[in-house]
Amino acid sequence: MKRRGHALIELAVSAAVMVSCLAGTFQFGYTFYIYNQLVTAVGNGGRYAAMRTYRRDVEKSRTAIQNMVVYGNSRPENMTPVVPNLRPDQVEVEWVKDKSGAPTAVRVAIRNYPVNAVFKTISLDGRPGVEFPYVGRYAPEEREP
Amino acid sequence: MNRRRGFVLIAMSIAMLLLLAVMGLAFDLGRIYIARNEAQVFTDAAAMAAASKLDGTKAGLDRAREAVARLPMRWNLGTQEFRGVIVEFSADGAKWEKEPDNAAPIAMASVTAPNNAVEITFLRAIGGPNSFVVPAHAAATSNPVRLTE
Repeated sequence: MKRRGHALIELAVSAAVMVSCLAGTFQFGYTFYIYNQLVTAVGNGGRYAAMRTYRRDVEKSRTAIQNMVVYGNSRPENMTPVVPNLRPDQVEVEWVKDKSGAPTAVRVAIRNYPVNAVFKTISLDGRPGVEFPYVGRYAPEEREP
Repeated sequence: MNRRRGFVLIAMSIAMLLLLAVMGLAFDLGRIYIARNEAQVFTDAAAMAAASKLDGTKAGLDRAREAVARLPMRWNLGTQEFRGVIVEFSADGAKWEKEPDNAAPIAMASVTAPNNAVEITFLRAIGGPNSFVVPAHAAATSNPVRLTE
């Protein structure tokens, strides 16, 4: 009888340690996995943004770049985001311009995306983010070819 | 009785080692992969930034180095600056130089981030290294600016 109680306490203590370790492992592992996917997605989006022709009306470009980050395609057919529940409006696209208004760089970053790792939710704001030099064609008027 | 008590100790220590290994795989490898990815995205952007400044003059090379230094991207979950970044230039993609004597034919720039050492937390406990370096490299041509490596 005494021995059984002993084993029960041992189990309780070791299970508490093991479960918390495994929960922590899952939480960090999953968060890192999502973060890594986002680094890749933002990098791809940034490279795409850097080469896209610049128009004065940037909204079309912005949507295409956001789609590139979220769905891996500027005109997505398959609307499955690269990470769960990421929406295009959570991708911030910003052009850095010189005095003449021509873009010199483009910044792409994730804003307010919660990583739901079951035990804890971590919100990513501004990270991951990239800045690429703008190397696309500058054609602000839409009628230009 | 005595033999059984010893068994729990051994079983627990083996289980802890296994647990540390699993935690190490999830935590340390996760960070290593992220750092590698971040470094690659940085070198891609930096190589493009450098290549976009090349204009066949020495001043162009300086502007290329400046453009790389000005990039705000960081690594290690976006917390650390890239240090010891190497910028090299080439005319043909075969011979790379940090300070080319003749800037006129230079049409390519390459960027290497060699010193990104991720500190290892858990894998160290089961005989892993203290840190793991994840270098990254990218090269780009100018006119048009495109990545080649």
